[in-house]
Amino acid sequence: MKRVIVACGSGVATSQMVASKVGRLLKERRVNAIVDAVDIKSIDTHIKQCDAYIAITAPTKQFNVPVLNGIAFLTGMNMDKELDKLIEILKAK
Amino acid sequence: MEYLQLVVDYVLGLGSQVFLPLVMILVGLLVKMKFSEAFSAGLTLGVAFVGMGTIVGFMFSFISPAAEALVENSGITLTAIDVGWAPLAAIAWAWPYAFFMFPIQIAINIAMIALNKTSTLNVDLWNVWNKILTAVMVAAISGSVAMALVVGAIQVVIELWNADLTQKQIYNITGIPGVSCPHSMTVFGVVLNPFNKLMEKIPGLNANVDAYVLKEKIGIFAENHVMGFIIGNLIGFAAGYSWQDALNLGISTGTALTLFPMVAKLFMVALSPISDAAGEFMKKRFPGREFFIGLDWPFLAGSPELWVAAVLLVPVTLLFSIILPGNNVLPLGGIINICLVVPLLIVTGGNLIRMVVMGILASPIFLYVGTVLAPIITDLAIETGTYAVPAGQLISWAGMEMPVFRYVFSRAANIINGDFLGIVMLVAWAGLWYLYVKEFTARNKKFEEEEA
Repeated sequence: MKRVIVACGSGVATSQMVASKVGRLLKERRVNAIVDAVDIKSIDTHIKQCDAYIAITAPTKQFNVPVLNGIAFLTGMNMDKELDKLIEILKAK
Repeated sequence: MEYLQLVVDYVLGLGSQVFLPLVMILVGLLVKMKFSEAFSAGLTLGVAFVGMGTIVGFMFSFISPAAEALVENSGITLTAIDVGWAPLAAIAWAWPYAFFMFPIQIAINIAMIALNKTSTLNVDLWNVWNKILTAVMVAAISGSVAMALVVGAIQVVIELWNADLTQKQIYNITGIPGVSCPHSMTVFGVVLNPFNKLMEKIPGLNANVDAYVLKEKIGIFAENHVMGFIIGNLIGFAAGYSWQDALNLGISTGTALTLFPMVAKLFMVALSPISDAAGEFMKKRFPGREFFIGLDWPFLAGSPELWVAAVLLVPVTLLFSIILPGNNVLPLGGIINICLVVPLLIVTGGNLIRMVVMGILASPIFLYVGTVLAPIITDLAIETGTYAVPAGQLISWAGMEMPVFRYVFSRAANIINGDFLGIVMLVAWAGLWYLYVKEFTARNKKFEEEEA
């Protein structure tokens, strides 16, 4: 199963909100994946065990996995575009 | 009124882990969730409560004896255990009038947008609990639920205005367009602003430090299990534990601090469908209107200054907790003080040196208001059956949002009992707010000029 992570400052509120939402959206589009909320302070550990990273902050460094814009899921602006991008990534590998 | 009291008492008697899931299922059905989904969300909330209570109980099982040993060994008497924000959020939600804050926040926000009094649409309905915690304090100090809800409503307005004021500064820091931050923690900037103005004039305090390199080096200390382990060990040593026992206390503390946010996640899982539905409802009211979407603070978490300052302020808070006369808070769960470093980041525009210097000056405020909060929040926890707190001990939070606003407005609300000092404080706070508005209006003008 593909794994998507969402990170925020506590790994609880914002990230879980986005994770729940992305999980629901993926289910609607019939894409199977685990979406987990994680703590951004431990991102270096989590990034090794995921297929895509949804960032709520502007990322300051390069990662080996595709990074998506989490703000889109919070505000609803450009959300469909980011969702399509995510589904493409999940289906590709 | 008597009848209402009866209902409230009965409901409280059920315990929050039964009462809140019931409310949750009803609210879920009201916003047209499927019954199965509403039922699941409601139960998840109950599970979150029992889970949080279990970990708080677990934490007291080793922190209580350690705190007692600390008194005997070193004479440091700190009976209010700082449990951090997660258990505090649980108690706040258990306040019998908590759910009223949802319609209050939504109605005020919609009205203010309609009247052009704000350009922020706050879709962060998770942090409604910030207003509930304020209301809990006001209700306890003034004895009036009506006053509590009024101050909660004032907080909604202040948060929105503050989000508007700081939007450009935050964009300047994060580079994320179209959003603002109505989180209550940023309101502490009102108190920090004059100090920042003063320090801007002192040469040497304005040098730029590359926080990114520092963060790579000390960022690990901000991780919950690492910080818990260190603090646990420190308490163990100060309590005269053997090194084996101290190490055990360290691991146990690390465990509690790691598990708190994991359980808190369940609150979010339960509340997220309702929060989503309410956000959509609000957005639909104003099709085609341009506004900033108000978000929870973590979109600022990419700034390395935040984490460096938070870690550097840990020993400061520990030292203050021991030497400050009248402090009763033993810093633990809230030791990484996000609610201090986020407003520092905004007010200084990301200057690490000023963040740390002002952070040191402001740290005592958090401990003192935490001391005031301790008996209030402990009573509520016991009343609602949220946690079992051992006799002689209290729970508190050493890093709460907007401590000054909360204390000042609680005292001001106490005017109904003839407490005039609160009004004096309120006037002083209003003065600080005036200076703050002036400062950020000037900054916004400068940002606009730079853009043009």
